[in-house]
Amino acid sequence: MLDEAVIRRVLAAGAPAGGLAELFVEERRSSSFRLEDSRVEDVASGYDLGAGVRVISGERASYAYTNLLAPEALLEAAAAARAGLAGGDQDAPLDLRRVEPSAVHPVGLPPSEVGAGDKAAALVAADEAARAAGGDVRQVVASYADVHQRVLVATSEGLIASDDRTRVRFAVQVVAARNGEIATGFEAPGHSGGFELLERQPAAELGSKAAAKALRMLDAKPSPAGEFPVVLAPGSGGVLIHEACGHGLEADALVKEASVYANRAGERFGSDSVTIVDDGSDAGAWGSFGVDDEGTPAQRTVLFERGVLTGHLSDVRSAKKIGHPPTGNGRRQSYAHHPIVRMSNTYLLPGPDDPQEILSSVRRGVYAATFAGGEVNPATGNFVFGMAEAYMIENGVITHPIKGATLIGNGPQVLGTIDAVATDFDRKEGVCGKDGQAAPVTNGMATVLLGKMTVGGTEA
Amino acid sequence: MSSRTDDRSKEDSGALLALASEIAGRASKDEAIEAFVTHEREFYVKVYEGEVESLSSAQPRGAGVRAIVGGRAGFAYSTDLSTEGIEAVVAQARDNATYATPDEAVAVAERAESEPAPIPGLFDDEQPEVGPDDKVTFALTLERATRAADKRVRTVEEAVYGDSEADVAIAVSTGIAGSYRRSDAWCYSVAIAEDDGDTEIGFEFDLGRGLGSLDANEVARQAAARAVGVLGASKIPSARMPVVFDPYTAGQFLGVLGSALTAEAVQKGRSLFAGRLGEAVASGNLSLIDDGRAEGAPGSAPWDAEGVATQRTGVITKGVLTSYLYDTASARREGRPSTGNAARAGFKSAPGPAPSNMTFDTTGEGRDEVLGRAGRALLVQDFHGVHSGANSVTGDFSVGVTGFLLEDGAPVRPVKEVTIAAPMLEILKGIEAVAVDRRWLPFGGSFGGATTLISEMTVAGL
Repeated sequence: MLDEAVIRRVLAAGAPAGGLAELFVEERRSSSFRLEDSRVEDVASGYDLGAGVRVISGERASYAYTNLLAPEALLEAAAAARAGLAGGDQDAPLDLRRVEPSAVHPVGLPPSEVGAGDKAAALVAADEAARAAGGDVRQVVASYADVHQRVLVATSEGLIASDDRTRVRFAVQVVAARNGEIATGFEAPGHSGGFELLERQPAAELGSKAAAKALRMLDAKPSPAGEFPVVLAPGSGGVLIHEACGHGLEADALVKEASVYANRAGERFGSDSVTIVDDGSDAGAWGSFGVDDEGTPAQRTVLFERGVLTGHLSDVRSAKKIGHPPTGNGRRQSYAHHPIVRMSNTYLLPGPDDPQEILSSVRRGVYAATFAGGEVNPATGNFVFGMAEAYMIENGVITHPIKGATLIGNGPQVLGTIDAVATDFDRKEGVCGKDGQAAPVTNGMATVLLGKMTVGGTEA
Repeated sequence: MSSRTDDRSKEDSGALLALASEIAGRASKDEAIEAFVTHEREFYVKVYEGEVESLSSAQPRGAGVRAIVGGRAGFAYSTDLSTEGIEAVVAQARDNATYATPDEAVAVAERAESEPAPIPGLFDDEQPEVGPDDKVTFALTLERATRAADKRVRTVEEAVYGDSEADVAIAVSTGIAGSYRRSDAWCYSVAIAEDDGDTEIGFEFDLGRGLGSLDANEVARQAAARAVGVLGASKIPSARMPVVFDPYTAGQFLGVLGSALTAEAVQKGRSLFAGRLGEAVASGNLSLIDDGRAEGAPGSAPWDAEGVATQRTGVITKGVLTSYLYDTASARREGRPSTGNAARAGFKSAPGPAPSNMTFDTTGEGRDEVLGRAGRALLVQDFHGVHSGANSVTGDFSVGVTGFLLEDGAPVRPVKEVTIAAPMLEILKGIEAVAVDRRWLPFGGSFGGATTLISEMTVAGL
C-alpha cells in the first residue's frame, strides 16, 4: 500500500526518544442496502483511504491522521503526533521485519464480483418470505452490508504487517401486531468471508425465521418475577459472557483496577465445565482477522480454564503495563481512531451434556432464547439483561412465550451458577461499542443451565 | 499570523465550493446530483492523573454524493478528491440509484429565490490562533480543578477537551451553491466521588465556538458537585408526585420527543404524534420550537444538509401540535415545502430529517421560583436506561433516575434506584413551568433543556 522507504521516513520522523512510532494505513470499500415498507431505500457505497501515526512516550499516546497518503502529508502527521517530544535517533537504519497473519479467512464470492442487483434481490426475498408468514406481519426492515478492508501497520520497533479483511452481514427485523400487542423478531448473521453467506443462509429463510419469532412472541404472557433456573439457548446466551466476563478481562480495565477481576488470576470462578476463550483466529468468524490493528497476529487466548481465571486480553500499550506479550486484541474502528483493547470471538466452549436432558431437568424455569441487550457495571460486575424472546419451562418442557423478562445478576457469580454445558455450540454475531468505537464481535455458547438466577418480570 | 490563517481559510472555502459545484455540474439532463463536501481540522486531548493519556489531531476531508434519477436515489462517499476519485464516486452513486425502488417524493432540493442570510458568530476568529499547548493546559486545568473541587472526589475518570474547525460546501444541480465555516469547542469532566463506602459519578460539560468561551473551573465545580451531591443516596417510597427535570435531563427528554416529530417518523408509523396535527398535545402554556438559525446554538447553520435554507418552526404552539419537521422527500410526500430539517452525520452519510435546535419556550420563571412552586417533588439529575425505557413509537416513558427529594422546593436528601413513569403525552400535558436557565445539549442533535416542572408522575421506589 506504501513504499517501504516512505514508511521508514515517516517512522523515523515520528519516533520519540525512548518511545514508539506506529503507522497505520487503511483502504476500505463498503456497500450497503436497506429495505423498509417493501422498498429498497438506502443504497450507499463508500471509499475510505487514510493513514494515522501514533506516537507513544511514557503514559502519553498522541495520534494524527490524514486522508492524504503523499509523503509530505504523512510526515506532517508524524510531526503533529510527536509535537512537544524530543526526537529519537532519526538516522538509525530501520530494518522492517514482516509479521505474517496467523489465520486465513477464505472469501468464496468476493462482494465486489457480485452484482448490486443480487444484493438488492436478497432484501426483497427476505421481505417476501417474512410477509408470507401472515397478515399480522406489519413491517419488515432488511439490510445488507459488505466491507473490504486492507490495512498495513508498521512500527519504529521494526514490525511491518498487513491484513486483508472481507466481511458480509445480512439482517432482518420483523414487526408483528395483533389486538394492540406488538412483537419483533430479528435475525442477523454475518461472517469474515464473501457473499456465500447468503448461499449458506438464504435470505428467504432468514425472513421466515424472523417472522416466525415475531408471531410467536405475540402470544407472550407477562414474565414471572423471582428466582428460577434459567436455560440459555445456544448462541445468543454468549452475550452474557461477553458483557459480564469479557469486558472485565480487557487489560485496560485491569490496569486501572476498574474491573472485578483485577488481581484475581488463578482464582476459581466456576465448575470444570466452564472454559472460556477469545479467538480472533477462528476461521471465517465475524470477529476474526489475520493480524490485529497493531500488527499482532490473531490468537486464541484462554480466559477461564476449567473454571479457573487464567487469562486476559491486551493491546500493545496495556500489555507493556502488565508485563505480558500483547494478545492480539488491539483493534480500531478505522484509521481515524486509536487502537484499544477489544474482544474478537468470545466463546464458552461446549461441554458434555445433552441439551434435551438439560431442559428435562428443569421443573419450573425460564428459557432465554434471545437477549435484547443490557447494562453492566464493570467495577462491580452487576448486570441487567432484557430478553427479546423467552419462554416458560414447566415440568421439563417449553410451554408458552413470556414478555418483559429481565435477567439480573453479577458477572463473577454467574459463572458459579453454570451447572451444565451442552454439546450444541452455536455463534451469534454482533457489534460491540466501546469508547465511541464499533467493532464486529462474535459470541458463542451451547445450551447452558444456570442453576438459580433472579428474573425480573411483572407477575408474582 | 492572523491574516495568513484567514487567507488560507478563505481559499479552503472557495476551493471546496468550486469542487462541490463541479461535482453537481456533472449531472446529465434527466438526472439530479447533490454534493456535500467538508474539510475539518480536529483536535482532541484526554488527560488522566495529571498526564496526557491520549491526544489526536487531524484534517479529515471528503465528499458525499447523491444521484437521483426518476425518483431513485443512490449515495456514495469518498475521501479521494482527485479527478479520478470524483469520477468514481459519481459513477458509484449513479449505479447505486438504479437499484433503489422508485419513489416520486425522492428528489433534491430546488433553488430558493434568495440566499439565506449568514448566521453571526458561527466561527470564532480567535480559535485558529489557539495552539495545541493551550488546549492541553486547558484539559489539565480541568482535571486538577475537578479533583480540587471537593475532598470526596477520589479520581477523575476522564477530563477531555476537543474542537473542530470545519469548512462545509453544498451544491446541487438545481443551482444551489452554498458554503459556510463553523468552529466548535467542547470539554467535559467525569468526577468519581467516594464517601462512607458509597461511590457516585458526576458528569459535566461545556461547549462553545472556541476555547475562550469554555469555563474549566465551572465545569469542574459542577462535575464534582453532581457526584458529591448524590453520595449516600437511597430509595424513597413509591408515590405519585411532582417531578422536576434539571436542564440536563430536560434536554435528554427533548431528544426522545425530537425523534418522533420528524414527518418521516409520522409517515412511516413510527411516532406517537401520528395523526395528532391540530390537537392539544401539551399544556396550554407550552410551546416547542425548532430553530435552525438560533444564535449561539450548536445545531445552527445557514443551509440544511440538502441545501435548503434553515428556519424557525413552531412545532407545538400553546399546547397545540402545529407542525412536524420536514426534509425535501417527506415534504414532497405531503405537497408542502421543507422546513430545512435535513441533517447528516458528515459526508459519509446521506441526508435524513432531524431536529436542528429544539427547545421549549420558557414560561418566564427563574429556577428557584420553579423549584419553590414544585413544593414536595423529585428533582431529576440523571436518567438511566433512556434507550430501553423511552419509546417514541408507543409514547411509553419509564426510566431509572438519580436526583433529590425536594421539600418546599429545597433538596432534603439524595435519591437513587427509583424509576419514574408516565405516558409522554401525559408528561407534556403536565408541564407547568419551563425556567429561563436554558442550556444546549449537543448529544444526538441539539436540544435546549431548562429546569422543567411536571405536575405529577409515578415514582416507584420502596
